Amino acid sequence: MPVTPATPGGLVRRTISRQRRRLAGAVALLMVWQVCEAAVPVLIGVVIDRAVATSDAEQMVLWGVVLCVHFAVLSTAYRLGSRVGFRALQEESHALRTEVSALVLSPRGARTERLPGDVLSIATGDAEAVATVLRHLTFTVVGLVGLVVSAVVLATIDLLVATVVLVGVPLVLLTTQVLAPRLAHRAHVRQEAVGRANGLATDLVRGLRPLKGIGAERVAHRRYRAQSRDAMGASISAARWEGLLYGVTDGLGIAFLAAVALLAGQRALSGDLSIGELVAVVGLAQFVAEPMGMVAYLVAAIARSRASARRIVEVLGAAPLVHVGERSAVPGAGGLVLDAVTHGSLSDVSVDVPAGELVAVVAEEPADAAALMDLLRAESPPASGEVRLAGVPLTQLRIEELRRLLVVGEHHVDLFEGSLRSNVDPGEVVRDDRFAAVLAASAAEDLPDEPVTVNGTTLSGGQRQRLGLARALAADPPVLVLHDPTTAVDAVTEERIAERLDGVRRADGATLVLTSSPALLARADRVVHLVSGRVVAVGSHVELARDEAYRTAVLR
Amino acid sequence: MSLRPVSTPREAAAFSWRLVRSHPRPLLLCSLAFVVAGLAGLVGPWQLGRIVDVVDTGGESSDVVRAAAWILGAAVVGGLATALSIALMARTAEPALAELRETVVERALGLEASEIEASGSGDLLSRIGDDVRLVTESFTEVVPILVTSAIAVVFTSAGLFALDWRLGLAGLGAVPFYVLGLRWYLPRSGPYYRREREANGARAEALLTGVHASRTLRGFGLADRHQEVTTEASWRSAQISIDVYRMLTRFYARNNRAELVGLLLILTTGWFLVRDDALTVGAVTAAALLFHRLFNPIGALIGLFDEAQSVGASLVRLVGLAQLPAPVPVHDPQRPEDARLVVHGLHHEYVEGRPAVDEVSLEVAPGRRVAVVGASGAGKTTLGAAIAGRLRPTRGTVSLGSVPLARVDGAGRPAVAIVSQEVHVFAGTLRDNLTLAAPDASDADLKSALTAVGAWASVQALPDGLGTPVGDGAVTLTPALAQQVALARVLLADPLVVVLDEATAEAGSAGARVLEQAALAVTTGRTAVTIAHRLTQAATADEVVVMDAGRVVERGTHDELVAAGGRYAELWAAWSALG
Repeated sequence: MPVTPATPGGLVRRTISRQRRRLAGAVALLMVWQVCEAAVPVLIGVVIDRAVATSDAEQMVLWGVVLCVHFAVLSTAYRLGSRVGFRALQEESHALRTEVSALVLSPRGARTERLPGDVLSIATGDAEAVATVLRHLTFTVVGLVGLVVSAVVLATIDLLVATVVLVGVPLVLLTTQVLAPRLAHRAHVRQEAVGRANGLATDLVRGLRPLKGIGAERVAHRRYRAQSRDAMGASISAARWEGLLYGVTDGLGIAFLAAVALLAGQRALSGDLSIGELVAVVGLAQFVAEPMGMVAYLVAAIARSRASARRIVEVLGAAPLVHVGERSAVPGAGGLVLDAVTHGSLSDVSVDVPAGELVAVVAEEPADAAALMDLLRAESPPASGEVRLAGVPLTQLRIEELRRLLVVGEHHVDLFEGSLRSNVDPGEVVRDDRFAAVLAASAAEDLPDEPVTVNGTTLSGGQRQRLGLARALAADPPVLVLHDPTTAVDAVTEERIAERLDGVRRADGATLVLTSSPALLARADRVVHLVSGRVVAVGSHVELARDEAYRTAVLR
Repeated sequence: MSLRPVSTPREAAAFSWRLVRSHPRPLLLCSLAFVVAGLAGLVGPWQLGRIVDVVDTGGESSDVVRAAAWILGAAVVGGLATALSIALMARTAEPALAELRETVVERALGLEASEIEASGSGDLLSRIGDDVRLVTESFTEVVPILVTSAIAVVFTSAGLFALDWRLGLAGLGAVPFYVLGLRWYLPRSGPYYRREREANGARAEALLTGVHASRTLRGFGLADRHQEVTTEASWRSAQISIDVYRMLTRFYARNNRAELVGLLLILTTGWFLVRDDALTVGAVTAAALLFHRLFNPIGALIGLFDEAQSVGASLVRLVGLAQLPAPVPVHDPQRPEDARLVVHGLHHEYVEGRPAVDEVSLEVAPGRRVAVVGASGAGKTTLGAAIAGRLRPTRGTVSLGSVPLARVDGAGRPAVAIVSQEVHVFAGTLRDNLTLAAPDASDADLKSALTAVGAWASVQALPDGLGTPVGDGAVTLTPALAQQVALARVLLADPLVVVLDEATAEAGSAGARVLEQAALAVTTGRTAVTIAHRLTQAATADEVVVMDAGRVVERGTHDELVAAGGRYAELWAAWSALG
């Protein structure tokens, strides 16, 4: 995998170098187009000089035909060249888009500090904005070529006029360069404000049901309105600078035309230029404003692309979520061990989950459960002590080993578009009889075999939870962690699940369940009771149940 | 599956115009600036034609100077007008745009929960996300060019006619060719843009799933495959865009043809007119230069047709939402006599012939709590949704203090609030999350609500207390705390009736006890319906209703039902069994 550029400029540069071949092709073809465009006023001058002014019919027909051929070349070159350029732009936005998504989905994940809606807008809008630099760059190069060709043609007609053009153009460019950074800043502020408003709107829509549950639509809307007004203000202020840049560019272009008209007019009066040359000169000078504009817009465009590139680089530079190392499992060592671990609210917690055993943890405080899950996902190393998987500290294992050895069945169940089967057995590795057994063990055998929608929105909480459990069981890893697998199912079903759980776990499998379900606890080989981040009791459910504190915790 | 409404283009235009018109001053000034800019743009070719004539007829050097001075003046005025017009256009359009997106979001927030579930949130999200973004960006990128080009075309055409009406007509000769091009292009582009939009929707869905479910995808070795799905969706949308562009360039070639025809017509007409001494060479020159100067604005106008079309497509989707009726104030609101909840003959079928809730009647005395229990799929959630007014039942009524639920005037208090196991921590500070329910609540109010649900200590432990940024991408709350916050919101909203639909399930065992106490705090002294898997919640309720297959199969107090030895007794035995 290529190294991710660390700066917005670096990202933009990589975009350019990655597409340099298409870029070159597009530039070559579009150069032909641009030269043809530059030649149009020259040709108009020729027609006026040789045909209109002389009333020569033969010349009129001849140059009419030339004009036709000229337009055919112009049109074809543009068509082919711009297609190549467009393809480069699409490929590049696609590449950036999938790069963002690949990072989020990479084995170690990414700690992005942004809303999902925001990440989406970075992966789509900003990726495209960065890739758009290709188009602007193409047209800038092409514009510069148009400028040079125009200058050369001008020089063959009149050296003095050509000099004025060559001095005037950089002057105009310089002026626009002065304004550009301010515009870039405003553009960035606008993009951020628009992104914030968009992020808020998508967040509110995502939380629409809870929002409506308490009737908070109006308050939510008022908040969105405030953000939207912010974006409006930022847009208006950016437009002021944009207007200034465009106005200055336009004005300078026309002022420049005035200078050329003055000069060429005098030369024509004194007989140094023919009328056709005069028309060609002013036509060219007028045309020159166009490539000049392309060049001027590049500055604004790069500013915009850089603002987007900054957001992409920020995401791509996010630290990995999962801590890993280079070590492999110790042969023969199995199971999961928490050895005097201190992390977050946990202090000095030891839990041993040897191969072949089911160990339950009763965590009374949510913070303890969260800290434990954080450790078991390898998203944080403990402050002290060790979490060992197959004999190796969890955060030092190779990522493939970690994934092979350990599956964490999250409490929040993500479901995907597809079938029941594709959700439970995504790897398509489970035999039919085992699949049936796993469904039975999760009390999910009676779920309708209907297509699962995106995120499983048509399923109830209990159905989702049972599917999640089935998926974790189907994966059949050496070490399985289940976080509250039965909170959304009724008592009878829970009992059924607890009864069958052991039957589908591999004989050498180590299983850790965070739960307070008496049905599950009763079947654990050992129960660890956590209170205020400390282990207060270890033993079987029946043994622990003699303790009043434990009884109130799990039996309620 | 019902798709959300889309407006007609005419409605969208009328709607937008109404918004723009509401800012008449900047609109007027902006139009004025555009007119000045357009006029200034004519000065160049006009004065250049005069220079040609001066040279052709052997005029004075001062004539050339005067012409150049005119152009210089036009440069200053034109530049100023351009700068002003773009700034003023933002002043006109941006407030209208803000108004539009705010209305759209307001309508989206007003949609019924059942409507969103029926067609998924993807379409809605793509309107709120992509469409709003596209339309917003068009106002910085597309619209200024569109307007300046239109102005240039109008003024230059007028300029041609001012030179000579025959030259003007010659220039108009190009129009049929432009029209032919458009007529070739437009019928082809529409379906393409629809496909492009659909592909973009699928792409957004794939990307979002990847972000939301990344942990699960990684944990089960699905990440690579989902990345493939995302890549495929992304490339599919790119491929369609490339196809669209191919067609677009063929369309541009047709524009070139129209340009050639116009130019040839003007030059030929000019040739005849000059031969017949009807016109000066300078006038023909000016005409040709004017027409040449039109290439770009016309190209921009026609080229932006497709962008304008996709903005249009987004706009009709937005206006379609915006035109949904505004949330109407309650019709004939009535104060309920008390907080007695009566459900009568409630029946609901999602699929015809398969009742989810089958003729259920229920009464909850003011301030009392009824627990609904039963296996998954028994219809508990549907019942809760109907009581909370989130679902229009097939038949049957829900009333509060003898007033139908929809007409309840709670005197500033919401009639019903519902908390389900679907927890969403809103992006913003924790304070923002709470004040959603009660915008005027002071920190002291928030503290007492959080204390009541047993969350104050946890909140104090956050990096910045109430001011801690939470939600996706910020500090992640534990599921239990997130649910406590949701319950605290109910306390702050202070509804007459509260429905808790497995509101303690999502937090997992660690938070269950805490949450049960929180739920108790929320339901105490309030008419409440608790849908629970945890039978401890049923044991403390004033009445227990047992549902099975959409029907109420048992009801009574906990003790009565346990003694009766029926379905509930069986559940309770399973629940309370030790070992």
